[in-house]
Amino acid sequence: MELFLQQCVNALQWGSFYALIALGYTLVYGVLRLINFAHGDIFMVGAYIAFFLSTAFMAPDGLFNFSREFTLALTIPLTIILTSLVGVTLERIAYRPLMRKGAHRLYVVITALMCGLVLENGNLALLGASRKTLPVLLDRSVYFLGGITVTNLKLWVILAAMLVFSGLHFIVTKTRFGMAMRAVSWDKFALPLMGIPLDSVIVFTFILGSGVAGLGGMLFAMSYPVLEPYMGVMTGWKAFIAAVVGGIGDIRGAFVGGFLLAFVEIMVAAFLPSTFRDLFAFSILLLILWQRPTGIFGKPLTNKI
Amino acid sequence: MPLLEITGLTQRFGGLQAISNFSFQLEDHELVGLIGPNGAGKTTVFNIVSGFYKPTEGDIVFGGDRINGLKPYQVTAMGIARTFQNIRLWNDLTVLDNIRLARYSWLNYGFWSAVLRLNRYRQAEKAVETKARDVLEMVELSEYAEELPKNLPYGLQRRVELARALAVNPKLLLLDEPAAGLNSTDVDGLVRHIRWIYDECKISIWMIEHQMKVVMSLCQRLVVMNFGCSIAWGTPEEIRENPDVIKAYLGDETL
Amino acid sequence: MQRYAINILFGTAAIVLVALAQAGILDKYVLTVITFMGINCIFAVSLNLVNGHMGEFSCGHGGFMCVGAYVGSLLSVAFFTNSKLFGPALFAPELAHFLFPLVLVGASFAAALFGLIVALPSFHTRDDYLAIITIAANYIIISIVENIDAIGGPRGFSGMKRVVNSMSDAADLPWMLIWTIIGLFVCVMALYRLMTSTYGKGISAVCQNEVAAEIMGVNTNRVKIMAFMVSSGLAGLAGALYAHVYGYVNAQSFNILKSTEGLVMVYLGGMGSISGVLLAAIAFTLLIEGLRFIIPWLNDVLHAANLLPASYELSQVWKWVIIPLILILLMQFRPEGFLGNRELTHVFPRLKRWITFR
Repeated sequence: MELFLQQCVNALQWGSFYALIALGYTLVYGVLRLINFAHGDIFMVGAYIAFFLSTAFMAPDGLFNFSREFTLALTIPLTIILTSLVGVTLERIAYRPLMRKGAHRLYVVITALMCGLVLENGNLALLGASRKTLPVLLDRSVYFLGGITVTNLKLWVILAAMLVFSGLHFIVTKTRFGMAMRAVSWDKFALPLMGIPLDSVIVFTFILGSGVAGLGGMLFAMSYPVLEPYMGVMTGWKAFIAAVVGGIGDIRGAFVGGFLLAFVEIMVAAFLPSTFRDLFAFSILLLILWQRPTGIFGKPLTNKI
Repeated sequence: MPLLEITGLTQRFGGLQAISNFSFQLEDHELVGLIGPNGAGKTTVFNIVSGFYKPTEGDIVFGGDRINGLKPYQVTAMGIARTFQNIRLWNDLTVLDNIRLARYSWLNYGFWSAVLRLNRYRQAEKAVETKARDVLEMVELSEYAEELPKNLPYGLQRRVELARALAVNPKLLLLDEPAAGLNSTDVDGLVRHIRWIYDECKISIWMIEHQMKVVMSLCQRLVVMNFGCSIAWGTPEEIRENPDVIKAYLGDETL
Repeated sequence: MQRYAINILFGTAAIVLVALAQAGILDKYVLTVITFMGINCIFAVSLNLVNGHMGEFSCGHGGFMCVGAYVGSLLSVAFFTNSKLFGPALFAPELAHFLFPLVLVGASFAAALFGLIVALPSFHTRDDYLAIITIAANYIIISIVENIDAIGGPRGFSGMKRVVNSMSDAADLPWMLIWTIIGLFVCVMALYRLMTSTYGKGISAVCQNEVAAEIMGVNTNRVKIMAFMVSSGLAGLAGALYAHVYGYVNAQSFNILKSTEGLVMVYLGGMGSISGVLLAAIAFTLLIEGLRFIIPWLNDVLHAANLLPASYELSQVWKWVIIPLILILLMQFRPEGFLGNRELTHVFPRLKRWITFR
């Protein structure tokens, strides 16, 4: 039982990472019906940006030599901003021209895949294969609750995911920009006629999605401080799967799907040989999709004649 | 024995009752119209008859066989063909291919014959080709055989859809608003074509149509639907005078 | 006769290729590249059936190649070699070059069966949800293979070199090149004939308007099963050939990256264009192999021009930066792929007089 509860805490932490990435997938998908396959790599970029910023800020002989707390406080917003810039750049130079030309939507998806490859391999080519380690930004303190150990970082990660989710949910459901975002997904062509600036809505969506992924990358780097260029690949694919199982296009779905996937993975790894992790995790996802073909929160596909 | 007999048809989508206790009979070689205000459930009835929805309750008997619950392709193979309210052609296949595909149920060869080009394949394809050309000839579309439907004007697209339905050799043709979106010249041509098909092919036609000109000039009998129920039936003249129908279309003036 | 001109041209080219390989004029490297080109072609056109003609977004095609590779390897090891796993050989190794097609057919059928994993959910699911199912299928297949210890698990499986060697012992010919050419021929012929038959056009009908297809008499579920099984079966063929050319298989070589390569070739060539996808597969293989030489050259040039710091060497890692960049640019200029959904014979109608597939 204690083992189970302990694994639940771990699953919550993993689920937070999946959820943070899946939210970005789902936001972009909800607006453009585009699977932004570069998103996992934007998560990786976020981790690297956090690494460069924090090492630069904390270098004892460097320009800044800030304290740890100050570095943390400064790195978080800067990482989010810089990562969202990367996301917006991709949209601007790769996706938008293609969509303007009226290319088939899968061509944009392939372009996104290619952008992801450029990001991860470009990183490898420029920075080399040596693994980077994020400096410690937060003192580690461990709490014991009954037989369960929880670190403060885990709690922060889970809390951050919750906060981001509530924030995004608020933006999408309550604000005018959120309303515009939902409107784009219904009818892209009617939107400009209603006087809503389509491009700003799209850029805003990319800012939100990439910013959240950047935050996720930073938190991931703080929890598992060894960075490598391909860290976003598997996590990215899996977060995408989580988003779809939740019902892609719905941010509640991304959130729930992320935790669900993490839960299944961690539990399989904990109680069965770990090589079975993918097998079971994906088989369960297949079963879920079999039963609910459009995901947990997805609306059923209707064929109107 | 009627060709098509619908008894006590009811269709619910979740909590919504789209069709309630709809009954209808259609004799052999008869041209009947189905009219009613928007949202009355006309297309839903067609969708059920063509097998796209499984009815919640009720029976549909076609030519003596009960057909509710059959898959759409099985229903088509029994001789019910239909057209769609918003044109549904295969836009990147040629007009000829569109017609040929309607013979899909009658292809008696499979993957291996197609790949190995067995004799069975060649014979079947020859038959399909002849049939498709005949149908195109019939609706005067032969010159467009190699065109893509998306490049044709709207009126011709409608006619291609009609041809595709005819290629099935239907006993019953369901036309869902065939005149929607056509200009008056096209409508005249359409009326001519439908009448010609009705006379020549000796089939039954059941059509949904809003344009009274078309309905009045073609149909021998009309059924009127409102809120999922049939509220009246009779000859066009009778329907025109029917107070319930007037109320359904114009609203209750006493209110 | 004229109608067969290009067919004959291709036939002669194939024979010349084999002859050159036999005479030792083509070195081993070039030969391997050509063989892989053929395998990539099979892989890409088979994916094209689902992603191009049927318009689904299957991104786990590598999984089916994996099934084909493993089943093919196991069959050929069981048939033609004495092994710990299967005991003595089922057939005399001298027969390997006659009975090798059995291996290929067996691998294809096995892969086709696995295609059902994707085909059955596709009745209810479309688009991105089906894409997920294909990705999951890819992961599941790899995970299954890695969890079977008898066939090497994550260490991979080998022993096929001996079979290839026994083929060469029986008759000294470049056997894997020959089998690849035959496989490619069978694959393209089958797909072309399928897609020109009314039966196969059901696949296009499902793609272009599924509702109309269903109501006009096309048994859409059967069409989907057929398309997925044929597609994954041919991927299995590619896998079996791949395994024998390499002489070693490892499940991880068929992961999502392999599937991505397939996607790139299909969308680069144009969805639903067999000739376009073949061209793309050839171009893609050439690009990958070409960069192997271009990068060191570029490195020297840049260093000579003092455009690179002396401490920095342009490594082969740049290959996977340059390739996606090229593809991104290509997509910007031709957002429908090389040929769109048309065939070469539509783009150059005169070709029709010179070629026939009937």
